[in-house]
Amino acid sequence: MMKKLLGAAGLMALLAASAAQAKETVVWWDFLGGGDGARMKTLLEEFNAEHADSIEIQATTLDWGVPFYTKVQTSAAVGEGPDVMTYHASRIPLAVSQGSLSEITPDDMAVMGLTPETFAAETFEAVKVDGKQYAVPFDTHPIVLYYNKDKLEAAGLLGADGLPSGLNGVENFSAAMTKLQEGGTKWGMAITTADGGFAFRTIYSYLCQQNGSIGSDGAWLVDDNAAKLANSVKVIADWVANGQAPGYTEYPAAVALFTSGESAFMINGVWEVPTMVDLEKNGKLFNWGAIELPVMFDKPCTYADSHSFAIPNNAGKPATPEKHAAVLEVIKWMSEHSLFWASAGHIPANKAVTELPEYKAMQPQATYATLTANQVFDPKSVFAGVASPLFDAAGNAFTAAMNGEVSPEDAVAEMKASLDALQ
Amino acid sequence: MTATPTASRRKFNLGAALLTLLTLICAAIWFFPIYWAMVTSLRTDDEAVSAGFALWPANPTLSSFIYVIENSNIGRWYLNSTITSVLITFLTVFMAACCGYAISQLRFPGRTALWWTILASFMVPVQALIVNHYVIMAHVDLLNNYIGIILPMLLSPVTVIVYKQFFDGLPREYREAALMDGATEFQLLFRVFIPMNWGVTAALSIITFIGAWNAFLWPFLAVSTEEMMTVTVGISQVQDAYGVAYARVLAGAVMAGLPVALAYLLFQRRVTQAITLSAGIKG
Amino acid sequence: MNNARNQTFVAAVLVAPFVAIYGWMFLWPTVQMIQLSLTDAPLIGDGNYIGLENYDRLIHDKTFGKAIWNTAYFVLLTVVPGTAAALGIALMVSRLKGWLQSLILSAFFLPFVLPVTVVYLLWQWMFDIQFGIMQAILEPLYGQTVNVWRNLPFFMPMIALLTIWWTNGFSILLFLAGLRNIPKELYEAASLDGATRWQKFARITWPLLWPITVLCLTIQLILQLKIFDQVYLFASGGRTQSTMVLVQYIFEQAFVKNDGGYAAAIAVALFVIVVAFSVFQYQILRIRGPK
Repeated sequence: MMKKLLGAAGLMALLAASAAQAKETVVWWDFLGGGDGARMKTLLEEFNAEHADSIEIQATTLDWGVPFYTKVQTSAAVGEGPDVMTYHASRIPLAVSQGSLSEITPDDMAVMGLTPETFAAETFEAVKVDGKQYAVPFDTHPIVLYYNKDKLEAAGLLGADGLPSGLNGVENFSAAMTKLQEGGTKWGMAITTADGGFAFRTIYSYLCQQNGSIGSDGAWLVDDNAAKLANSVKVIADWVANGQAPGYTEYPAAVALFTSGESAFMINGVWEVPTMVDLEKNGKLFNWGAIELPVMFDKPCTYADSHSFAIPNNAGKPATPEKHAAVLEVIKWMSEHSLFWASAGHIPANKAVTELPEYKAMQPQATYATLTANQVFDPKSVFAGVASPLFDAAGNAFTAAMNGEVSPEDAVAEMKASLDALQ
Repeated sequence: MTATPTASRRKFNLGAALLTLLTLICAAIWFFPIYWAMVTSLRTDDEAVSAGFALWPANPTLSSFIYVIENSNIGRWYLNSTITSVLITFLTVFMAACCGYAISQLRFPGRTALWWTILASFMVPVQALIVNHYVIMAHVDLLNNYIGIILPMLLSPVTVIVYKQFFDGLPREYREAALMDGATEFQLLFRVFIPMNWGVTAALSIITFIGAWNAFLWPFLAVSTEEMMTVTVGISQVQDAYGVAYARVLAGAVMAGLPVALAYLLFQRRVTQAITLSAGIKG
Repeated sequence: MNNARNQTFVAAVLVAPFVAIYGWMFLWPTVQMIQLSLTDAPLIGDGNYIGLENYDRLIHDKTFGKAIWNTAYFVLLTVVPGTAAALGIALMVSRLKGWLQSLILSAFFLPFVLPVTVVYLLWQWMFDIQFGIMQAILEPLYGQTVNVWRNLPFFMPMIALLTIWWTNGFSILLFLAGLRNIPKELYEAASLDGATRWQKFARITWPLLWPITVLCLTIQLILQLKIFDQVYLFASGGRTQSTMVLVQYIFEQAFVKNDGGYAAAIAVALFVIVVAFSVFQYQILRIRGPK
C-alpha cells in the first residue's frame, strides 16, 4: 500500500516535471502603450495559442521611456530582467556600454533563419556595436504628418492627387495653418510641446533638413550646427507663440486634439495610425491621412528609430539552452509576422515583408513608406537614444524654448553645455 | 442692562453658525478630490471626459472596475500588498514590543547606549539608504521577492520608543507580583504587559499597516516584475495598453485606496491614538 | 547575582531581532554608503577608490545645486503654510461636537491614509489640461488652460499644495489633541473677565499650543526634506532636471545613470543635511524646556 502510494507520488512528480520541461515560459517586457500596444497584444495571444504546448509568453507592458529603461537596466544588473524585451535601436550603444544586453550571435541568427540581408542596411547597422549584433530589428518607426483631409480640402490645400500640397517651407506651412484656423479650426498643429524629449524627434528632423548634425562625444553642436538647431526649435516655438499650436501639451492631449478635429495637423509617430484606423472603423473619425514630414528647409529628412528585440544580460543567471531556444523562436515568429505589425503603422524591418503586395496596399503606410529614403537615426553614441543623456538634455532645454520661457538660442546653448559636461 | 446679554448671545450664535458653515465648506472642498475620483470611476469612459461639472454620473456603472479587475493583475497586487503589509506589521510590532519591554523593564549592560542609538536614529533619513539597501538585497538575491520588500521596511525606531514609554508608565507592582508568582519575563510580556492594554498594540499595528500598504519608494525599487508589485506601485507603473481611459485609471485608484480608507474609518479612534502616541503627546 | 545574569540573557533574546534588523538594515548600509561614495562603482559591481572626487564633483554640479534649491523651496512652501492650515482646521473642528465632529474630521484626515500613487492619480485627473475640473477655475484666472505639471512656476507650488492636502491630517490630529488638553476653566475664567474670542486665542490657546506647533513644524521639516514620491510621479516624462529634488537625484544617479558611487555621495550629503536639521530641532526642543 505504502509502496503503491509512493510510486503514484513519484509518477505524478515525474509527470509534473516533464510537463514543466515541455512548456517553456518566456518573460517578455515591452513599452508599447498606444494603438500599437493593442496590436502587439493580438500578436502575443496568437503566439501563445499557436505554441499552446511548447512556449508561453508572459508579457508585461511598462511605462515608455525612462521608467522602462531604468527597470530593464537595474533588473538585468541583478539577474531579474526579462527573457526578451523590446528595445529602441537608438539606445543600444548606451545599453551595451552598461553591459545590460546579450549579444545575438551569428549562430542565433542562423537558428532563426535570419541574415543581415534580411534587413535594410541602415536599420541593421543600428543594432550593432563594434561589429557585434545586440538586437534583432523589428520595425522602423519614423514620425509623420497626420492631416485632417476634410479640413484641408475645405481650405483648398489638397493637390490633384488628393494629397496635401503647398506645405513645404516654414512660411508656406505657417500660412496653411493660418488658413485652416481662419476656416474655423481651433489649432493648426497638435504636437507634444510639454515634453522636449519627445519633440526632439521633430526638431532633429528639421536639423537634418538643414544638413546639420548634433555631433558626437566631445564635439557637440560644433560650427553652425548650434544655429541650425536653434532654427529648428524656433519653428515649433513660433507655432506656439503665434497661437497655431497649443503650448504645454502632453502626448495624449495632442492625439486627442487631432482626433477630435480641434487641430488640423499632428506630427507624431506612425504608431498612432492604428488609433486613427480604429476610430474610423467605429465611424468616429473624419477622413484623414499621413505623409512624410514637409520640407521646412533644404532637403527632405525625417527622424526614425527602430523597435528591436533584445535579450538582457541577466547577471549571474544565464538562460538555459531550452529557454534561449524558446526566446529565439519568439523573435523569429514575430519577425515572420511583422506584416500584421505593419498594420500598427510601423514599417517592418524585414525587407521581404515590405515587398509583399498586402503591405503595398496598406494605406497610409504605403504613402509614407517612401520616406525611408530620407530617414535619419539618432547619432550612434553612448549618450544618445531614448532615455539617454541627450534625450534628457533635449527634454529640459526644448520644453522651455517651445513654450517661450527662453529663446531657442539660449535653449540650444544650455543643451550644448549639458552635453559638453558629459564624460 | 438686561438687553445686552441677549443681543450678544444672538450675535454669538450667528458667528458660530457662520463658522460652522465655513467648516463644512472647507471640509467639502478638502474631500472633493476623493469624491470626484469616486464619481469618475462610476462613469463610462466617454462620460468621464464629457461630464463637465455633473456631480453624479448619468448612468452609474461598475464597468470600469470590472475592466480593471479583468485586465490587470490587481488581484495579485492586492495579495502581494496584503502579504507584505501583514508581515511587516506583525514583525515590526513584535520586535518593537520585545525591544521596548527589555529597555523599559530589564537592567542589562548596554541598555542606555541602545536607547540613545534608537532615539538618535529617529531622525535619520532612510531614503538616503536606498542605494545600499538595493546593493545588499542584490547580494543576498532577495530582490523581487517578499523578503526583500519587507526587510528594509522593518526599521521602525518610533515603534520601539512608543512601547518603551508606554511600558515605563505601567505600575511596577504588576511586574513584581507576577515575578513573585514565578512568571518568566516572556510570560510577563506576552501574558500581562501586552494584553493589559491591547489598545496600544492595536493602534501601532494599524498605523504600521497603513504605512506599509502605502509605501512607494522601496517596493518600487525592489520589485521588477508585474506579478510581484504591490497595489501602490502597480497602479502607477503598468499602463493600459488601450490608451488613456480616465474612468478605468480612477477605478484602479479607488480600489487601491479602499482598504486603507476602510481601515481608517473602522478604527478611527485607534488611528488618532497611534498618531498622538507616536508624536509623544498624551491624547 | 544569578538573577542579573538571567535578566541580561532574557534582554539579549528580546532585543536581538530588533538589533539584528537595525544593524543589517541601518548601520551596515550607512557604513557601506560612505564607502561607496569614495568609489566610482556602478550600482551593482565593484569600482575603484577615488577619494573625495565624487564630493568635488558634487560641489560643482549644477543639478545638485538645483536639487538643493528645489528641496528648500518645497520645504518653505509646505512646512509653515501646512502647519498654519492644520492649526486653522483643528480650531474649526474642535468647536464641533459628536458625530458631526467625527464626520468633518474624517473628511480632513482621509487623504492622509491614501497611497501616494492614488493621490497622484486623483490630482492628475483634477488638473488634467483637457478634462480636469480645476481647469474651469484656472482658465479664467490665467487666461488659458494650464498644464500645471509642466509649467515650472506652477510645479512646486502645486506639489506643495497637494502635499499639504495629503499629509496635513497628521498635524491636525496633533493640534486637536493639544486643544483637548487645554483646561476649560481657563476659557471660563477669561470669559468672566470679558475677554473677546481673539483675546482668548492670543492669550490662552496660542501660548498653550506653542509646544505642539513647534513639534508639528519640526516633524514636517524633517519629513518634507525627504520628498521623493510626489515629485517623481508628477515629473515623470517631464522636465526632471528642472524639478529635481534631493532623494530623486540619488535615485536618478543610482538607478537611471547607474552611477552608484556618485549617488552615495549625494546620499551622504542628504544624510548630513537632515541630521543637521534634526540637531537644530533638538536644540529648539531643549530651549522649550523639560516637559
